[in-house]
Amino acid sequence: MSDDRQMLTEVATGLFGDLCTPEDVVAAEATAWSGRLWDALSESGFPLVSVPEEAGGSGGDVADACALLTVAGRFAAPVPLAETGLLAGWALAAAGLELPEGTLSVAVGRPGDTVRLTGRRLTARLSRVPWGGRSTRVVAFAETGGQRVVVSAPTAAASVTPGRNLAAEPRDTLVWDDVELPEDAVAPAPDGVDPAALRLRGALARSAQIAGALARVSELSLRYTGERQQFGRPIARFQAVQAHLVTIAEETQLAGLAAQVAALNARPDPSFDDVAAAKAAAGEAATVAARAAHQAHGAIGMTKEYELGQLTRRLWSWRDEFGGERYWSRELGRRLAAEGADALWPSISTGLVGELAGSPEGAVA
Amino acid sequence: MQFAPTVLSPAEEALRAEVRDFLAAELPADSRPALGFAGRHDPEFSRTLAERGWVGMAIPPEYGGHGRSAVDRFVVAEELLAAGAPIGAHFVADRQTAPALLHFGTEEQRRRFLPGIAAGEVYFSLGMSEPDSGSDLASVRTRATRVEGGWTVTGTKVWTSEAHNNHFFAVLCRTSPMEEGRKHAGLSQLVVDLHDPGVTVSPIPYLDGSHHFNEVALEEVFVPDDMVLGELGSGWQQVTSELAYERSGPDRWLSTFPVLREWLRERPAVTDDEAAVLGRLAARARAIRHLSLSVARSLDAGAAPSVEAALVKEVGTRFEQDLVEALRDAAETELDQGSGSLFQALLAEAVLTSPSYTLRGGTTEVLRSVAAKGLAA
Repeated sequence: MSDDRQMLTEVATGLFGDLCTPEDVVAAEATAWSGRLWDALSESGFPLVSVPEEAGGSGGDVADACALLTVAGRFAAPVPLAETGLLAGWALAAAGLELPEGTLSVAVGRPGDTVRLTGRRLTARLSRVPWGGRSTRVVAFAETGGQRVVVSAPTAAASVTPGRNLAAEPRDTLVWDDVELPEDAVAPAPDGVDPAALRLRGALARSAQIAGALARVSELSLRYTGERQQFGRPIARFQAVQAHLVTIAEETQLAGLAAQVAALNARPDPSFDDVAAAKAAAGEAATVAARAAHQAHGAIGMTKEYELGQLTRRLWSWRDEFGGERYWSRELGRRLAAEGADALWPSISTGLVGELAGSPEGAVA
Repeated sequence: MQFAPTVLSPAEEALRAEVRDFLAAELPADSRPALGFAGRHDPEFSRTLAERGWVGMAIPPEYGGHGRSAVDRFVVAEELLAAGAPIGAHFVADRQTAPALLHFGTEEQRRRFLPGIAAGEVYFSLGMSEPDSGSDLASVRTRATRVEGGWTVTGTKVWTSEAHNNHFFAVLCRTSPMEEGRKHAGLSQLVVDLHDPGVTVSPIPYLDGSHHFNEVALEEVFVPDDMVLGELGSGWQQVTSELAYERSGPDRWLSTFPVLREWLRERPAVTDDEAAVLGRLAARARAIRHLSLSVARSLDAGAAPSVEAALVKEVGTRFEQDLVEALRDAAETELDQGSGSLFQALLAEAVLTSPSYTLRGGTTEVLRSVAAKGLAA
């Protein structure tokens, strides 16, 4: 990891460690918000990492943002860190739209969603928008006059039906009924700024969060099984339990490295193959590792207060968000099939590409 | 535990392109791919590879090798395995015996064996398992008795892959009696010529009917002192370290890749279900490759990633098997080794041989114990 990114990770780990304890997460789940954490993150500029400074962001690249998201995932952070900068901030900056204060969110277009823009009048229904109800704006795409545009829709003008994911993170449905948008709310979407690209970024973000959460699940499982005694010895000494620990470690490393490579290869934008593979792997890892971790923990893992459940409920939510395993496997498979049998190995063996800034030839990132 | 992402340097990329071009020219388009490192024994191919400098890559130039990095070896190995190249003749000697000779062998042993290995002409089998000794290697019964100028060895080794085609094997045997509570002591590795008159190689038909396994009986085989590999009494430490770092290479996750490629080649169009199968396997292969390459890079940096290597083998070999079953399920077929479809024939071969992937080089269960100890540390 580059020195800057290493430092970013360390600073973020300290911040989350202070302000996002398991008790803080319990409290935030009750109120659907963690203002103290968000304010501290905003002061540090973390939500807008990867958004160019000239557009009002904090600078840095996609890999920096993903490093932060990995830390956030590890702490089960109940805040729209990915949505505000890496997703909404990216689309707004690319379209030359203003970056509003506060939290931002996005809608990639779920089944049943509609966005109709006539002039600047918006009629839309967007479902399961992360922290939609408390965001200043929700960023979505619309077609108007034969052109694709980025819409920065003020949530104050929407009616909000609250919803939650399995981790009690807000996933709200917002409806705009023939609302006049402000002047700074619509701009043409440049090439490469479209729902597919937004979904890809969303999938990368969730892959990074899953990687962080899995790392913590792995630690918790090792700690618990090393301490818990049954039949006169730590349960980690039993081969059947060891098998769970190894499975968790494998899936954690597999998903973690795939997410890291996908983030590092985003120069500047994520590549389809990398992200599709990373999200498919992350989803499978989340499923397999969560099951093994619960099995290794026994009943304590089934309690609301214990940290494991905060992480696994997020894993079970994040694996589906911005496309689940089947979605990304199918999309990746279609693309690979279109390229033909002899292109399969070159694709699989692509790996991390290009030179890494500041790294000598062949060095580790 | 540390798996760092790593990028191939321009020189490593160039090596990969070179191997790819070579394979495109060398392997006939209609040839049947070999599955994995033990897929097919082809001395001519091994010698051709050696002429290109792609055997004995880890062996220093003074012993006829090429002194290349672990990543260079990784790059060559993954291209060979992905293409289904017939590397069975030299692979075990190259992967396992050569490093053991370099670490533990005498100068004389290195000079005797390494140039032949690097030339793709001297092949080794492994001499560990016995009828009553599998994962618990310390229980081997093959015994060496001190005689003038060396040892006489008597015992039986089993599951000895390709002993009928290979030249030597390093026999793990007891050179001093087992002591209570110190069962790992008193074991040594002796290099035995498979063509010695006291050695009888008998086939043990493989599951699919092929000749791969052998029983190798040793009847008072004389082994001179200079064929003791490493320290007397250190055999157990030597074989376990020999196993440790060679666990995580592309040979542990690519054995069945040619089945996937030929499956895709025979699809005129893929359905959504088939695309999902293909995408899942490709995603998983990519992720495992990142891990495997990362271990190679860390070996080059001087690290000793034994836990990481065990994890990669455990997950990689299970992936090799998962791939086969996913394709069988997707193909909705009935398996036939004689099928006119290359994919179907390979699939049948893979179903019959894939149980070995999670056994050879340390079973899944042993690897989990190794990894779990490392994780807890």
